[in-house]
Amino acid sequence: MSASNCLRCCLLRPSASAAAAARLRQGMPLAAAVAASFSTTANHSANAKPKPGTRAAERNAPPSIRQGKLFTIKKKKKNDSGARVKSPLPGERKAFRKRILLSNTNALPVPGLTDLGAESMLDPSNVCKVLSLPDDVIDQLRADEAFKTTQCWSMFRKPSMLIRTETVDLITRMHAAAKNNKTLRLVLTGDRVTGKSLMLLQAMTQAHLNDWLVVNIPDAQELTTACTEYAPILDTEPMQYMQQNYVLKLIQAIKKSNEKLLLKLTTVFSHAGLPQNIPIKSPLMQLANSAKEAEGAWAVFQALWQEMTAQGHGRPPMLLSLDGLTHIMRISDYRTPAFNPIHSHDLALVRLFTDHLSGATSLPNGGAVIAATSRNNAPRNPSMELALAQREAEQLGGGKDVPQPQPYLKGYDERVEAVLRNVQVIKLQGLSKLEARALMEYWAASGVLRITVDEKSVTEKWALGGSGIVGEMERASLLTMRF
Amino acid sequence: MMASSRLGISTALRGLRPSARGQWRPLDQQFRALRLCNDPKSTRCLSTDAGSFEDFLKTQQDQAIQAAPEINLADIVDFRNIFHARAVPVSPSYFSRQPRFNDSYLALQKLMQSYGKLPVVSTSEVERVAWKSLVEFRQMVGERVKASDYVKCLEIVKRLHRIHPELKPPIFVEAFQAFKRDIQPFTNKPNPIRIDWVGRALGIGRRKSSVARAYVVEGNGEVLINGKTLADAFGRVHDRESAVWALRATDRLDKYNVWALVAGGGTTGQAEALTLAIAKGLMAHEPALKPALRRAGCVTRDMRRVERKKHGRVKARKMPTWVKR
Repeated sequence: MSASNCLRCCLLRPSASAAAAARLRQGMPLAAAVAASFSTTANHSANAKPKPGTRAAERNAPPSIRQGKLFTIKKKKKNDSGARVKSPLPGERKAFRKRILLSNTNALPVPGLTDLGAESMLDPSNVCKVLSLPDDVIDQLRADEAFKTTQCWSMFRKPSMLIRTETVDLITRMHAAAKNNKTLRLVLTGDRVTGKSLMLLQAMTQAHLNDWLVVNIPDAQELTTACTEYAPILDTEPMQYMQQNYVLKLIQAIKKSNEKLLLKLTTVFSHAGLPQNIPIKSPLMQLANSAKEAEGAWAVFQALWQEMTAQGHGRPPMLLSLDGLTHIMRISDYRTPAFNPIHSHDLALVRLFTDHLSGATSLPNGGAVIAATSRNNAPRNPSMELALAQREAEQLGGGKDVPQPQPYLKGYDERVEAVLRNVQVIKLQGLSKLEARALMEYWAASGVLRITVDEKSVTEKWALGGSGIVGEMERASLLTMRF
Repeated sequence: MMASSRLGISTALRGLRPSARGQWRPLDQQFRALRLCNDPKSTRCLSTDAGSFEDFLKTQQDQAIQAAPEINLADIVDFRNIFHARAVPVSPSYFSRQPRFNDSYLALQKLMQSYGKLPVVSTSEVERVAWKSLVEFRQMVGERVKASDYVKCLEIVKRLHRIHPELKPPIFVEAFQAFKRDIQPFTNKPNPIRIDWVGRALGIGRRKSSVARAYVVEGNGEVLINGKTLADAFGRVHDRESAVWALRATDRLDKYNVWALVAGGGTTGQAEALTLAIAKGLMAHEPALKPALRRAGCVTRDMRRVERKKHGRVKARKMPTWVKR
């Protein structure tokens, strides 16, 4: 005997079969029609046909017999497999692209790896040693955007750095300058992937370890390629331009990176024209927090800057760093209202940096202004290249070796030459064999480099890296599919 | 008698008249049928014009063919007691199918008997010679020498060639000349690479259309190519490794410095040219490394070049789309 529920059975009761036929016509699967126990709407109303006179009824009505069969070409849907793919939210792709991974648990923990201390990078006996970054400094550096996605942080367990002779040289100069309340003005140059950005990171690490204020511009490209909003600062002659959105981001970064110091230090000036009224003796963090929108960001930044560089109020030394110097030494992609191009040095934030780099303004509490050039994605700049080459030659002794400008070359920029007239230059070259060995031993101890580290293999990787250029050595050792 | 017609001349020369077939005509008559020139100076002139009967009789009497005088064997010293003589061939091989080959083979066997016991040098130390192939030998002697025979012959030649050079008799040079190829490729030896007064060895390598000159000198592993470091010169890590493959394969990257000039071709071509150049420079310093470098693939010049485009084709091999009709 067939039950009324057994619809698959051929012996259907007429009433049940009629109901089943009706459901089939409506397009509903038979099983669903029966097992609708989880739906909150009554089956009847859920599956109700639209009212006869309505548009919905017209739309859903089957074609009449008189119309006959129609030839329809159905549009193919893109994701017809049925899998529901969620497209990423705005900003998710960029965040994924720019994510920094600093730890990899697949790598081995290196035994005997010590953390950096406040004086570690000053000690010449630490040259050719690999020291790791302390955790709190890592957070600060992350806020500074000091880590780059092109660096190999994601291969090791704990982010660590090799202390080179140039590192000790740079840090000693920084320390000496701060001690005498002077400003070190320095440019890091060198070939591609020689470790300029990493040296900047080492300078920032030293600054954080010694409780300096750190203001870092991670990529100068963002300032001059007309990708952020800009607005003219009124009543300036020649017209200066501010970049409020970028400055707002910068303030957030300064806040996060120098949190402890900003909470400790208090304002000494009263500032007018800020979005919020910040009285004297309030913590600098409060001043920084008052920048919530792009509109008042520039004013807040100026106030904050004034406070941070106030002389004689127990302010610590400051490190002002920038990566990608070439981008701020050219005519930017911005245009004036009259559609004339704007020189980068007319952008207020860039001008702030270049004034400090040239020595026109000095940091009252001492510190350092360090810029690193970049060879990847950098336009050629004859003035900058010439100026840096001249400073380098002068440092080495000068005389006949100092390169001179080419007499018939156009494109020299006087403003650029003026900025770089009195800077110090450190040119980064390949590692020495000992430094290379120390680095390779660290790689091998982490389990990333699976060869025996002896003199032969060190020389081999050193030679393949173009006489010890770090990035090329990494390419030849870590980023290969061999071993 | 009248031999004016062509048929008449031929029958006269044959000595048979059509009417008198089966009968012999004496030789002197046959000669007389041919009328000789009257002019005594022109001895070569022979006329077939028979002329009149009177002339014929005249010639018969005047110019009788004179046979050579009899050989008086008693006069010839060597033949004093010899009464029979026949023409004898120089070598008994005359009667064989391949006289020249047989003579050579027998001569070699004789040499083997005489000098076979002299001390011999191992095959690896013997001077390399390109011997004639069977086809070439056959062409030289003009006889269809059997392959198996020639192989046996060459075996003897090679065995005799192995005799110590200081003890080799000078006759061998002449004896082997017939068996050596005209062009000896092994005599074309490259000039040895010398190490100069500052310790540099210049090796030259080529690949496709690139040429590399590499100075290899003892040092600590620095490499400069056209004034640039290895990383600067080659962006690809594979190319960098190829360029110094000779030093890598022999674990000597830290023992030598390289200063190289490369021109022509593209990146990989230049890198491969450098492989050969540095290998040659290294072999100048350490000749014993040759087998190791050969196994590493640094010794042989890669002769491949870009194949030319041909008419009727789109590229060297690519043909235009095949059309059925």
